[in-house]
Amino acid sequence: MNSVRPSPTVVIRDLSRPDAAEKHLAQMESKYHGLLEAAPDAMVVVNQGGDIVLLNLQAEKQFGYRRDELLGQKVTNIIPEGFAERLIADDLRSAEDALAQQIGTGIELIGRRKDGGEFPIELMLSPLESAEGILVTAAIRDISARKTDEKHLAQMESKYRGLLEAAPDAMVVVNQSGEIVLLNLQAEKQFGYRRDELLGQKVKNIIPEGFAERLLADRLRSADDALAQQIGTGIELTGRRKDSSEFPIELMLSPLESAEGILVTAAIRDISVRKAAEANLLQKVKELYRSNEELEQFAYFASHDLQEPLRMVASYTQLLARRYKGKLDADADEFIAFAVDGASHMQQLIQDLLAYSRVGSKGMNLLDISSEGALQQALVNLRGAIEESGALVTHDPLPIVLADEMQLIQLFQNLVANAIKYQKSGIPLVHVSAAKNVEKKWQFSVRDNGLGIDPQYFERIFGLFQRLHKREEFAGTGIGLAICKKIVERHGGRISVESQAGHGSTFRFTLAASKGKS
Amino acid sequence: MPKEILLVEDSSGDVRLTQEAFRDANRLIHLHVAADGVEAMAFLRREGVHIDAPRPDLVLLDLNLPKMDGREVLAQIKQDDDLKTIPTLILTTSEAEADIVKSYRLQANCYLNKPVRFDAFESLVKSINDFWLTRVKLPPKAPSG
Repeated sequence: MNSVRPSPTVVIRDLSRPDAAEKHLAQMESKYHGLLEAAPDAMVVVNQGGDIVLLNLQAEKQFGYRRDELLGQKVTNIIPEGFAERLIADDLRSAEDALAQQIGTGIELIGRRKDGGEFPIELMLSPLESAEGILVTAAIRDISARKTDEKHLAQMESKYRGLLEAAPDAMVVVNQSGEIVLLNLQAEKQFGYRRDELLGQKVKNIIPEGFAERLLADRLRSADDALAQQIGTGIELTGRRKDSSEFPIELMLSPLESAEGILVTAAIRDISVRKAAEANLLQKVKELYRSNEELEQFAYFASHDLQEPLRMVASYTQLLARRYKGKLDADADEFIAFAVDGASHMQQLIQDLLAYSRVGSKGMNLLDISSEGALQQALVNLRGAIEESGALVTHDPLPIVLADEMQLIQLFQNLVANAIKYQKSGIPLVHVSAAKNVEKKWQFSVRDNGLGIDPQYFERIFGLFQRLHKREEFAGTGIGLAICKKIVERHGGRISVESQAGHGSTFRFTLAASKGKS
Repeated sequence: MPKEILLVEDSSGDVRLTQEAFRDANRLIHLHVAADGVEAMAFLRREGVHIDAPRPDLVLLDLNLPKMDGREVLAQIKQDDDLKTIPTLILTTSEAEADIVKSYRLQANCYLNKPVRFDAFESLVKSINDFWLTRVKLPPKAPSG
């Protein structure tokens, strides 16, 4: 049915008055022919009996008939239902009324081709006066494509809606003017509004600040850019409920293309619980910090105040020993000796404990300082012990480091003092060096040729009051290395030991390099 | 001629230790003791029972005292035209930097920590005797009372 006729013949079959009808229609044809054929839609003119009296090329094409196969035939052949009925008067209304009700409205029906295939159509009816009464012009549009699209969209929307409702977060879809176009149940719950109270409203009502602004183009960027900058990042804002109460939220934005332009889907998570947990944690950390500080203060004041009565005990037992040694009996001399020794040991303990708590309670004064200078000062402080033992302390060139100078001196002093003290017979040899490690920190080594340490004690020796020797062998309080550990850790470094019993020890600790060049 | 020392100290243990240490260092010393700041000022100004008190050659002053503390005593001594020339030594257990700074601002002649060990205290007392009571030249004593 591809024959194209430049001037289609219209065949009229009017059973009642064929001649008059033919004449009239011929006039009409000349009047409407051009219009009819130019129409993009299929056009069919039908009389009140439901017979096709005129049609255009598009109608032939759409329904797959030749023109002569349709003219005079019932329109129900090509539109089985819903059209003819509309034209026919029934008991309740006249033919004009029946038609009038349909004029101008798009009616969706099913069209049937010659081959029996069906397809969705949309009809637009308009009346055409003629000698035989009112005829009806039907513009018939094949809406298959639109229907497919609509179906697809409906499917998409139902899928999307399902997704939206299933989401654990409140979801709100907003257009570029900041109006809410879609939302889910969670959003209703979270903000305490009914859906209809939010749809079409400004999103500012529920997220007063920071969201709408992010959607808007400004002079510096387009709307797309404005949005692109926000996609995928969690933005922490404040949500406001219907009752005006506020709560912390986290937003995740994603774009949604639509006929009205880009919409923005916002997943809104109530982070009250998380925020509360964070605040709680922060509070706990603060409390811990404070209690730790109090503990250190306590240790400081306790040891300081203990020093006073102890000074009396120590001084008077010493005085007693001085004045009365050999004047009482041998037992008395021995008892006094133990008292003097006990008191002076306790004094040393308290002094070391004070030094230990000072490391924690005194503020750190981190500066770029010469570690070589600190070592030299430590050696000056240890002059007595070095001379007494005949120790040889050597060192490589040492770097500038970021440290508290007083604490670094103390650190070197304790380590070198230990290296000299824990010796078998012979000359103590101590060597201090430094090298950059993989973390770009300086790793210092204090190596000695002393007694060495059994590996099972490597951890233990850095603990408070931990000792490996009897006091009769080596005097000490077991605080020196604990002080070293505290100093190094307060500087963000680590301290460790490597040793073999009988083969000397190497203590290593790390310090941050100078901020500048070193 | 014996030296007159005023020790301002509330701890009798410390008083006795100081006496013992000075006894060994120099037999020709009169050690006078005031147990608080108020009594110290009365002694120095020869008030009440101290009407016949000698003018000390040296004041050894503890900082933490009942009634009137050592800082106030120091301030009063150094603001008094008659007393300000008396060497006043702070002798305390406090190692606080604030105490050291404040004492020198108030014109303390020196600041000393009480050593923890008795032998160290003995040697400190010996140093005080050798320096402040032996080597140092002081202005002539104002005609007393």
